[in-house]
Amino acid sequence: MTVANEVQKRIEEYLDTLRARLRGVKKQNAREFIEELRGHIQDRISAAGEMTPAAVEKVLAALGDPNELANEFRTNALPDETEEHTKSPIRILSILFRWASFNFTGLFMLVGALAAYLVGGLLLIGATLKPFNPHTVGLWAFHDETGDLNLSLRLGTADPPAGAHELLGWWIVPIGLLAAVGLVFTTSRLTRWSARKIKRSNVFA
Amino acid sequence: MDHSEREQPSADKWEVQLRKGSLELAILAALWGGRLYGLEILKRLEDDTNLIIPEGTVYPLLSRLKALGLVNSEWVESERGHPRKYYILTKSGKQRALEMAGVWTRFASSMRKLLGPLNGGNK
Repeated sequence: MTVANEVQKRIEEYLDTLRARLRGVKKQNAREFIEELRGHIQDRISAAGEMTPAAVEKVLAALGDPNELANEFRTNALPDETEEHTKSPIRILSILFRWASFNFTGLFMLVGALAAYLVGGLLLIGATLKPFNPHTVGLWAFHDETGDLNLSLRLGTADPPAGAHELLGWWIVPIGLLAAVGLVFTTSRLTRWSARKIKRSNVFA
Repeated sequence: MDHSEREQPSADKWEVQLRKGSLELAILAALWGGRLYGLEILKRLEDDTNLIIPEGTVYPLLSRLKALGLVNSEWVESERGHPRKYYILTKSGKQRALEMAGVWTRFASSMRKLLGPLNGGNK
């Protein structure tokens, strides 16, 4: 392999690592960022006057670790430019997991979103299972031994408590579906909205 | 002394934070004179200030400044054969630079007053 090829290969390796770490960032932004860095590397190498592996290593070292650079790009990017634009609950939760490791606001949002998605998911399962287990699936109301009124969402895994009566009947199907979709949609919207607010107010950070 | 040796790393860390914190203002100030591309901004920072930072740091920050509407960018073909991304201050970028410069100057002058005895003591 010629020296020029070797140098080119090393540059591509560096940029490939960066590209891999930018997964989830808007494609256009990731591409521009990589092209900008490619230009920087080429300019630095030609300014050094020699196209040797040692010169390239020096330029790449000065530029910094590609993993850290990608992290900085993600941290600095606004929600509009990253996967925070997504509607997928799984992507939103994975973003919140990352956030939760940074600060309390992130942790708070993660717990809230997890709870909301969980309730949404349970309602969805309830609505789906009702036709298969019509006698046990449902929202049941019953009095416990202290006489307090309890509500229990049963998914057909066990018999309802003795003396319980079902509140929604077949209505659990449309109501459960609507509530689940509404809850998941609202949580995703709310999370994205808060993320945007927090990031924009953090200009001096 | 053992005590001062233990203090050293945190002073270094503080310096890194200080440099990072002033980078946004430094970039806006570098662009005050007109459009520059990333490497030109870096050179300006190296020449005019002592802001030693990993070179790559400046690019994610430029992208953030653009997303915030403080700078605009355009790709321009260069004689080197690859295009370069030039940045230019927007109206709100200029306003933000002035605001930040004001805060910085006031802060620096009160710190200088406070640090007077320390600096005098070193000499």
